[in-house]
Amino acid sequence: MIPVLFGLRLGRWGMIGFAAAAFLSILAQTAGFYQIAGHSPSARAAFGASMSALAAQFVALFPTPIRPDTVGGFVEFRGIHPLGILLCVWALVSATGFARGDEERGIVEASLATPTSRAALVASRAAAFTIAIAVASLAACAGYLAGLAIGHETAELRGVLEDGVLLVALGLACYALSIFVAQLVPGRAATAAAGGLLLGLFLLNSLSRVLQSLVAWRWLSPFRYYDLSQPLPPGGTFDARGFLILVAIAVVGTAAAALAFTRRDLGSSLIPFPARHRPVSFAPSANTLWRVPVVRGVYERRLGIVAWSAGMSLLAFMFVLLTRTIVNVLLSVPSLLPYLSVFVHQQIYPAVLGYTWLNVAQLLFAALAITHVARWSAEDVDGRLEMTLSQPFPRAAVVVERMAVLTVIALVVSAISGTVLFVQSHIQGIDLNAGRLAAASLMLVPFALVFAGAGAVLAAVNPRAAVGLLGAFAFASYLDIELATSFRLPLWLQDLSAFKLFGTPLLTGVDGRSLALMVLLAMLGLGSSILLMQKRDVGR
Amino acid sequence: MLPEMAAAAIRTSKLTKDYGAGRGVFDLDLQVSAQEVFGYLGPNGAGKTTTIRLLMGMIRPTGGSAYIFGLDCARDAVDVKRRVGYIPGDVPQFGSLTGSEVVTYLGGMRGGVDPRRVRSLCERFELDLGRRFREYSSGNKQKLAIVLAFMHQPDLLILDEPTSGLDPLNRQEFYTLLRETRDHGATVFLSSHILSEVEHICDRVGIIRDGRLVHIAELDEATAPNLEEIFLSYFSESRTKPKLLRS
Repeated sequence: MIPVLFGLRLGRWGMIGFAAAAFLSILAQTAGFYQIAGHSPSARAAFGASMSALAAQFVALFPTPIRPDTVGGFVEFRGIHPLGILLCVWALVSATGFARGDEERGIVEASLATPTSRAALVASRAAAFTIAIAVASLAACAGYLAGLAIGHETAELRGVLEDGVLLVALGLACYALSIFVAQLVPGRAATAAAGGLLLGLFLLNSLSRVLQSLVAWRWLSPFRYYDLSQPLPPGGTFDARGFLILVAIAVVGTAAAALAFTRRDLGSSLIPFPARHRPVSFAPSANTLWRVPVVRGVYERRLGIVAWSAGMSLLAFMFVLLTRTIVNVLLSVPSLLPYLSVFVHQQIYPAVLGYTWLNVAQLLFAALAITHVARWSAEDVDGRLEMTLSQPFPRAAVVVERMAVLTVIALVVSAISGTVLFVQSHIQGIDLNAGRLAAASLMLVPFALVFAGAGAVLAAVNPRAAVGLLGAFAFASYLDIELATSFRLPLWLQDLSAFKLFGTPLLTGVDGRSLALMVLLAMLGLGSSILLMQKRDVGR
Repeated sequence: MLPEMAAAAIRTSKLTKDYGAGRGVFDLDLQVSAQEVFGYLGPNGAGKTTTIRLLMGMIRPTGGSAYIFGLDCARDAVDVKRRVGYIPGDVPQFGSLTGSEVVTYLGGMRGGVDPRRVRSLCERFELDLGRRFREYSSGNKQKLAIVLAFMHQPDLLILDEPTSGLDPLNRQEFYTLLRETRDHGATVFLSSHILSEVEHICDRVGIIRDGRLVHIAELDEATAPNLEEIFLSYFSESRTKPKLLRS
């Protein structure tokens, strides 16, 4: 029991944060439904049709909703499915954090120095995560019920609980797969390998909705078994077999991870990677890139830049491939034609690409900024910042160099992915305005800098909490734009969201005021963080 | 620079860092002369690292002042660090960078370092710079920290438990390096738990307890006091009667 409690203690902020995010997001979506869906049957039907149109654009990400004209169908689509993805990311981070992060910090070694077997240690951490994700899922259910109470509706408790246990099962399946993969590869590659596997399995299932060739393989993906159930809407289903398969993946995956852990050395991977033989060297590196400000930071992250550019380019490539399919789906629904007529006059392909690709790109660039802030916080905690400041290097220069490095990396990633999008669109015969695409891609840079500015402030105030707080800020920014219509939020409040300020540059061009506001917010964050950095204490 | 401070490598006046609940450093008056090796002794949590971080400008004093070569440690932090080599209490983590990359990276922030000096230090401690930092043992990480502190031949070395993790042979090599550095005109301020080490290499020693400097002694060989006796006179009692001492 004590190892389980210890695991919960180590992950308590994740549990609190994800439970709060689950409760608030589901509550906001549920309460928001009553604000935007109308109350008459005809208004609800019209709303359901518009949601179906929206769902068709996201068919490559989320399953087609059942009865989006009802609160259950709407929340299942807008709230529960995105939450499921969020919980899978949590499972990934939590599993690899235990499997390799805690190992590097010596926590695993200290635990194994007690009379605890390796299998018991893995089981205790899996049990701790089960409790944590169950709390977060219950919070989501509570958010739904609270939202229903606002709309004076009630729901069948069974459907709500079924959704809760499905989220738990999906999260545990992802946790088990991640913890297993983390045993196979070297520690520094664990998160990337497990993340790559989960992303691949997710895409295998979601793309199988539009690419017939993948249908035969989607049984391999745990996300397929999650998709089989939609218990919230009226007429929805709970597929017990799919749920049991998810549980089986969780159990078998955890057992395999425990077995792999017992068969490898601490600090090593199960799959042996031969060490390269190098002659002994007493000389400093002759690479001059390490000496040039900003360039040294970019060079140090060169592998990350390659990975981000490749990933974003692949996604851009796939989104272009899917655009025609999505547009065909949209045009084949007669009830959607009145809604689409507006878009058709304004070029439907750029509209769909802008809505799908740029929405995903915004989320990924926010994530890019968050990963940089995580690194800044880590440098603070692991003493690297202290070592940097022990050189004759001003504190302000540290902050400016960090932001400059992120700016260059964001520029490179946006330029490469934007180029791939343009070339692939051209090949597919989709006519995109090159100027607007360039502007839209470049807009991702100030967009990322808004989050980086906020993150720099948070890292200067409290580096240990910076990533969690910035994640909450990003989540609130996203909710801000998501809920702006539902709750008729004032314009000044909407303008605090980078997602709102980004606008629709591919369709309508760059809005100068929004761009200026984004730059202003980023500069405000930079300036504030410089001031805070001058005043703060540094050291563990 | 204040003229009366020019001779002192380190000078603090009523230097205070109050973390609350009696933790921190209080009213520290200290002067370390140029070319002196000053040992800073005290039990865990006494305030050694806090003093060192104040001198390095990593943390801000809540009262008093600290000067290095007449420069204010907080206000003139960048100029101070041009003349200082530093070993932190915990070796920072450089992940997958190789030792040679770390040296070039941090050396670049100083405007470059002499590669012959780096090579000489690494050969002396048998530190392979071609390996990744994460592959280093704790002793090798400490050796890298020593190289980083000494590579630019600073006028002042501020060292927080510099021999932590070193084996006896490398420890002796470090003592030799320290003496040579002092003979070349540098000043050394080092904290340590190891009484014999301080007796062996320091000219003077300061003892800190509960954030206050309680004793300063010369360690001249002819008149050297028994450091262990002094140390125990301050701390053995505190182990048995902590409340009485605090009052």
